[in-house]
Amino acid sequence: MTSVPEKPTANGKIFPTAQAALEGVFDGASVLVAGWSGSDEPEKLLRGLGEIGVGNLTLVCQGAWAQKSGQFGIGDLVATGQVKKMVSPLPFHPEYGGPVKDRWKSGELELEVVPQGVLAERLRAGGAGIGGVFLPTGARTRFAEGKELRPFDGKEHVLEFALKADFALLRAKTADTLGNMVYEGTGRNWNPIMAMAATVTVAEVDQVVEPGGLNPELVITQAIFIDRLVSAV
Amino acid sequence: MPGKPLDPSFVARRVAQELFPGAVVALGPGLPCGLPSALRNGSGVWLVSDSGFLGFQGPGPEAADGEFQTVVMLSGGAYTGVVDIGGILRGGHTDIAVLQPAQVSANGDFVHWTTAATLGLFAPGSAVDMAYGASKVVAVIPHQNADGSSTILGQCSLPVDGAGQVDIIISDAAVINVSQDGLELVEIAPGWTVDEVVAMTDAPLSISSVKEMGFEVPALEMPNKVYPNALEALKDVPEGSIINVDGFAGPGGMAHYLMVGLRDLGVKGLQLISNTAGVARVSGFGAPNIIDHSILVENNQVAKATASYPVSPSASRPSAFEEAYNRGETELEVVPQGTLAERLRCGGAGVAAFYTPTGAGTLLGEGKEARSIGGKDYILETGLRADFCIIRGHKADTLGNVVYKGTSRNFNPVMATTAKITVVEVDEIVEPGELGPEEIVTPGLFVDRIVVRPPEFSAYL
Repeated sequence: MTSVPEKPTANGKIFPTAQAALEGVFDGASVLVAGWSGSDEPEKLLRGLGEIGVGNLTLVCQGAWAQKSGQFGIGDLVATGQVKKMVSPLPFHPEYGGPVKDRWKSGELELEVVPQGVLAERLRAGGAGIGGVFLPTGARTRFAEGKELRPFDGKEHVLEFALKADFALLRAKTADTLGNMVYEGTGRNWNPIMAMAATVTVAEVDQVVEPGGLNPELVITQAIFIDRLVSAV
Repeated sequence: MPGKPLDPSFVARRVAQELFPGAVVALGPGLPCGLPSALRNGSGVWLVSDSGFLGFQGPGPEAADGEFQTVVMLSGGAYTGVVDIGGILRGGHTDIAVLQPAQVSANGDFVHWTTAATLGLFAPGSAVDMAYGASKVVAVIPHQNADGSSTILGQCSLPVDGAGQVDIIISDAAVINVSQDGLELVEIAPGWTVDEVVAMTDAPLSISSVKEMGFEVPALEMPNKVYPNALEALKDVPEGSIINVDGFAGPGGMAHYLMVGLRDLGVKGLQLISNTAGVARVSGFGAPNIIDHSILVENNQVAKATASYPVSPSASRPSAFEEAYNRGETELEVVPQGTLAERLRCGGAGVAAFYTPTGAGTLLGEGKEARSIGGKDYILETGLRADFCIIRGHKADTLGNVVYKGTSRNFNPVMATTAKITVVEVDEIVEPGELGPEEIVTPGLFVDRIVVRPPEFSAYL
């Protein structure tokens, strides 16, 4: 967390290339990656991360259980050997496998498997300044192993701690130059909470408009959470 | 000669019989994704996909559901993020979860999605959230694995993803109820005998009356949510109810029409949860006869308020609540605004309690658990839930999807998630599809009743 640079302001929030927008990503950084296993991923930023070659990354993401052909996805980044650990509810497809499974099997990748709602809630807690939450999910299973348990209303709950990261790589449809963002369809999924839970957030967007170009009632991620923007095209 | 396993489409049709009009139904990957096709038109229930998709039918060309089949969003569907999906699954909003476990045990434990090839790795996705959150968990499975072994076992042979969560098993040969007493065979598929089903089930089955499975898909119509007026929409509010009252401090964003209805009903002993305990009338917003919580206090209906701004900004103009409090007629629980919002959010999202830094080391933290996490001091706060919620929207569609205008959004969306019955007053009711799926702020599955706010109440948004 300590080696993240000052947020650049000279050119506003807009960066010319993915590599430039990823400046400061360091060896051992934790990185949140939005998207849904091949859909709505920040592909250009993932590719940029591959090109920079920085290693020992911890990725927090939905997983790599599907990938569109020709696309550079989570699995491809894992295949480069830059990823040390992945935190995910569906790290790979149990039947089709892929690079995540291969590297996990060979001991080169550590996996922390977390139910999706628990991961979402941990990120939300991280972004909202909550230290920890008691959730019913996974009581009396492996997901509760080693964790503090407490009954509420006669039901066992598991203490889950907040999760934060050094960087978040996001994908939105439209942003204004201030960083207010809207999404398309299910592309919204992980973005809003990940935008709140990282020290530096980088968003890959289809389109950038001037402030006022987005309806304030429709903005999903507010500009205060966004540090850097890069065009997806 | 044993019977033939049912085609998945017939299993899906049997699953459809578990649904009821207006049910919120979450689908896991695999066989459950056959359900939308089995439903005649997909409407009449809320199908939830954990990818952030509410209200769909399938298959179709437009978006991806949990199984990467494409599905079509219905008119009145909405998009949302994964954290809100988690809240919908966990917070008492999901009536039925349909999952395809690899194994189910006699006490309702299940192992989700695994194969020999995964070396013990498990892919919970949202299945665990669904299993622990839904009122009823339906396990849809082939009765046997390809090697002829049973998927229904006395005890799971692999680490479980849910302990005691499954309520009913619908296989390609039978329907089995799961309770504390174990498994009861209640239906068998056509062509099968009870003995054959028993023989391929590796767990004890109790048998008293067994029917043949039927495959008729029920006609499901969304229940009507539009009420003629406030009194009708509130007439069953019982004495002593906990009621969320929206709004901020001024009269904006407040359900004035419903508040008047509540006053006219005269129901007593109410416990209000609200940002203020009614200060709009005394805080200089102009009109002297502004409607706020004071009308309920003056009518002796309020026993308690939980609020972040309980008192008037001006000592010389105390609010009705302050006066009642000073006379010893009401109780007060003071909560910082962010803590109030978070407690409501947690109540609505199935988070029992949370550690917040706000108020640590102060009077607000007294009597609460204090804990240091990562070197920072926190106090434990619990989720808040209510019996009723009255909120002010701008527009709603007939399914209950709501949009707001300006800052009147503030407490409304979170309050709408925490009450057993949520009643909304709006300027206009529109047909499903008129509010865009990207635009909907409160999805209709949180809303039970809608009334139109009469024009004489429309001075404030």
